[in-house]
Amino acid sequence: MSVVTNFITHTLHGVQYGFILFLIASGLTIILGILDVLNLAHGELYALGAYVASSVLGYVVGLVPPPTDPASQAMFVAVVLGGAVLTAAVLVPVGAAIESVLLRPIYDRNEVYQLVLTFALLLIIKDAIKFGWGPTPVRLQSVYSGINGIPAASLVGLNYPTYNLVIIAVGAIVVVGLFYFFNRTKTGRIIRATAIDREMATAIGVSTDRTFTLVFAVGAFFAGFAGAMALPPTNASLEMGANPLVLSFVVIVIGGLGSLRGAFVAALLVGILSRWATWQYPPAELAAPFAIMAIILLVKPDGLFGTWGEMDA
Amino acid sequence: MDRRTMLKAVGGTALAAALAGCSSLLGADSNQDASGGASDVPDEPIQAGLQTFTEGPAAVLGLQAQYGAELAVSRINEAGGIAGRQIELDVKHEADAYVENYTQFVSEGKEVTFGPISSGGHAALAPEVEAQGVVNVSTDGTVTTLYEETVPDPTYSFRFQNYDVMECVSAARETVNRLGAENVNTVAGINPNYAFGKDEWKVYTAALQKLTDVEIVYEGFPDLLADDMSTHITEINNQQPDVTFSSQWGGDVVTMMNQAAANNMFDNTQLVGTVLYSAVNDLSQDIVEQAQALSGSRNYYWGEPEPARWSPGQQLLDDARNQWDIIPSGHFMSGYGAVASWATATEKAVNLTGGWPSQEQIAMSLEGHGFFTPAGYHVMSERHQGLSTAYYGEMDWSSEIGAPILNDINSYSPPDVSPPPGTKSLDWIESW
Amino acid sequence: MRNRLPGLVSRDGERKVRVMRGLELTLRQTALALVGLLFLFALPDIARLLPAIQLSVLHQGVVFGLAAVGLNLLVRHTQLVSFGHAAFFGTGAYTTALLAAKYNVTEFALLLIASMLLATLMAMAIGYLSLRHTGLYFSLLTLAFGQLLYALVQGQTFFGSSDGLPVRPGPNMRPDIFGLALPPDAYEVLVYYLTVAIVVVSLLVMWRLINSPFGAALDAIGQDRTRAQFIGIPVRRYVWLAFVVSAVYGGMAGALYAMVQQHVRPGPVLYFLRSGDILFMAILGGYQTLFGPLVGGIVLVLLQDMGRDLTNYFDALTGLVLLALVFGFPQGIVGSLKKGGRVRSAASSFKNNPAVVGAWVSSFAESLVTAATQSVQNVKVLVFGVK
Repeated sequence: MSVVTNFITHTLHGVQYGFILFLIASGLTIILGILDVLNLAHGELYALGAYVASSVLGYVVGLVPPPTDPASQAMFVAVVLGGAVLTAAVLVPVGAAIESVLLRPIYDRNEVYQLVLTFALLLIIKDAIKFGWGPTPVRLQSVYSGINGIPAASLVGLNYPTYNLVIIAVGAIVVVGLFYFFNRTKTGRIIRATAIDREMATAIGVSTDRTFTLVFAVGAFFAGFAGAMALPPTNASLEMGANPLVLSFVVIVIGGLGSLRGAFVAALLVGILSRWATWQYPPAELAAPFAIMAIILLVKPDGLFGTWGEMDA
Repeated sequence: MDRRTMLKAVGGTALAAALAGCSSLLGADSNQDASGGASDVPDEPIQAGLQTFTEGPAAVLGLQAQYGAELAVSRINEAGGIAGRQIELDVKHEADAYVENYTQFVSEGKEVTFGPISSGGHAALAPEVEAQGVVNVSTDGTVTTLYEETVPDPTYSFRFQNYDVMECVSAARETVNRLGAENVNTVAGINPNYAFGKDEWKVYTAALQKLTDVEIVYEGFPDLLADDMSTHITEINNQQPDVTFSSQWGGDVVTMMNQAAANNMFDNTQLVGTVLYSAVNDLSQDIVEQAQALSGSRNYYWGEPEPARWSPGQQLLDDARNQWDIIPSGHFMSGYGAVASWATATEKAVNLTGGWPSQEQIAMSLEGHGFFTPAGYHVMSERHQGLSTAYYGEMDWSSEIGAPILNDINSYSPPDVSPPPGTKSLDWIESW
Repeated sequence: MRNRLPGLVSRDGERKVRVMRGLELTLRQTALALVGLLFLFALPDIARLLPAIQLSVLHQGVVFGLAAVGLNLLVRHTQLVSFGHAAFFGTGAYTTALLAAKYNVTEFALLLIASMLLATLMAMAIGYLSLRHTGLYFSLLTLAFGQLLYALVQGQTFFGSSDGLPVRPGPNMRPDIFGLALPPDAYEVLVYYLTVAIVVVSLLVMWRLINSPFGAALDAIGQDRTRAQFIGIPVRRYVWLAFVVSAVYGGMAGALYAMVQQHVRPGPVLYFLRSGDILFMAILGGYQTLFGPLVGGIVLVLLQDMGRDLTNYFDALTGLVLLALVFGFPQGIVGSLKKGGRVRSAASSFKNNPAVVGAWVSSFAESLVTAATQSVQNVKVLVFGVK
């Protein structure tokens, strides 16, 4: 393998990792930026997404012919992505219920109660998953190998799984979509307005209750979507929520709390730098994201786009 | 083989025969043989405790060990128990509470405890076992330093499964046997990022460097449960080592092999693993066939000797498939053998003492104790380490059983793959 | 002449028990404190009587409670919620383990002091870096530093990697207590009583601290940083000091943990969920009180241990208890039992009119129904839009 293609492949791994990180962190950062709630259960919503996906995707790919020729392959990808969206949609009522039933009564209390509450949810969701899908890991290998059967990167002489390209493409679409939503749509602007000044938003007739529920539901949606996309190359297990939670903390701290743009840049930065670090010095794998965070914060204490609680998308 | 020869071969009693998997050959009257001569044997059942991973990713191994232990217990009970005493097995999730679990077992009056799976947990537990004095036979917890440094002179702590040195030296010998020493010039590793993975990599490379002129070209340590191992895989594609060694287990094997296949890694290297076969119930056909990996299966592979020719092996496979719908892996035998070693040694002690033996007597009886399971003959050595034959084979797909199998088995007997008593593993390898 | 000795004194017509300078308790408080002390001292016997409870588990509860008492200095007074206190607990535990395993240091006191020192140094560094921020940013930073430490320890063979390190120094295979090499049983009980003594002293020290001008300054900082700055409180330095003090408690607790468990691994002492545990112990016990975190520690550890025997879903059990805490007893266990606390006032209204139970149930059901309708409504709006 030439030096250049090797470098490109390692970088692509980083980009793909970055997009997965962004998918997870985006929900967390939206909730944090607008509701001012640090949702410790976010990692479990991600895990729940992966488990739901194991059922939903398992069902829907059974409905279409196996991917052999270009037409059936295109159909297969479409069905998988549709299944991932469907999975994420399942998380919407879960998120809405958590916000309106559990979180709403304690907004005006000390923030430690939000931490306790969302931590309690973390434990409960984890056991709900255990109850629903059993104590051992579940997996869905046919999706990964099915999509990888499509020759894509090999057309340009790269040795790179097609599924990872799909993640990059989907991640890019989500990024564009999110920025469009918050910048160009009315609902998006209302949400940002609410984040900046709750009282003013209420005064001009915005229902903050509804906005908050919507925001939490959107956050849960993206957690679920990330879980669905992350499942096929690996498996879903009871412990899978913890690492992504901590890593998305790293991402939003680097990016600046509540900044969606910051989360995006930070996710790509962490993704690429930590993959390069692992490649050059494998023992750094576990510590790399935290070391990157520590270094960036020494230079920029407020993170890259430190805008306190405001959406600057 | 007639009844008398069979009994003699497996150690003289119906219990030993049942655990060897030969009870069906003995006929229905076998339980009358249960060491009846002993007086002073309590009436109540033996309370035993097992700690293992019953949930989470490690449950892929942990449940196998649990099922194995449960099967051994039910066979003991069907054969009339130990000196007439039935066994009741209480199973606890290891969680992170190795010492607490053990102490809890002891305070509940357990007469013996089994487990754990975890190496780190075992290192924490073994000194406590010595302090509290209730025999523990670990299923796995195969860390090399346990009886070399942590508890150099154990009394109550035993380990059934072959430990890291044995399986890594076997892996090195297997690599050379299959590929030929002259064809092993470069090696890379993908091992889990914790003590076990690092330990296995260290021993394997030390042994391989003694057997060949190999050069290490890459060593990656993805975290346990890493969902993405592609950086390591890409680097292996870049280096194209002759051999890639991996001590991944359970779900991580599936993740690694799926991603390796997706990145065409198997075109560039030969994968050798110590416990790849622990993922037997989860790997898919296309991956197994692409990989053509060499895998160990610790001290037990259900297909050796071939089940059709050897009924205990067939019986164990059938029991595991019927009761739990699994192909038994080496970890199944970890649970089975831990119970079997204790039960047969205890029965021996009953016969010797004429009453129910103390913990010390059971421990003494276990030292140097030989016994049979469907995996063959095992010895619990004087240094408290179980010694059994290790198995390696070429992993391939069997459409007949719908799961991976190991073809063309090589077996490695303990003297070839473990240091002599009193020698530390790395010193021993260094002395080759 | 003022009475300088401990004893009974009369203050404003009320009889009080004088414990030390500045610490005078009402008779009721004295009784409670004595009962608490008696309870702590009787724990080994309680554990002996109840087979389901182990002394080592209770001991762990006390130890974690001690760490939570330390953390509470930050949470209660400066309103800074550290989510990385496992870093100091782990520093203490690993200092003890390293000294015992690698340098064969056997003396209990030496190990304890060294652990506190290292925790101090660690807290000075992490505090310096993370105290530039407040609120959630501070929480996240402490969490990230804690995880960095976890990753480093987990990755280094020197620290025993994931297998951890044994705390079994010397020929006796356990630390000596003031030069005494003890058999296992005696060691266990003696370390426990030493822990109790350390906890009592630590509580007294903490009491003095929060009732000192320094404590008042911390309260002022917690209420309004800017104002505190304006009235001349060196905010940064004081908060940093408080951070270090709370970490010393954590380090001390970690050292004791190491000596109880006699084996230290990164997961149980450094992982971020452990930081969460320590924080939730403080809140569960009642973070507006001094003793609450200690009680919370014992209760949470017992709950997790016994829950495991009770059900496969012990995590959810803990989760439900925490939910009940948030919605039913926000002041925590000790806070609710205090005068004016939820339990006390509920008990007194129950005494006045037992029918009040009906009202409680119906109001609870009502709020549940309201919340459920609201969420259904919200989901409808989300899915179908506003018509």
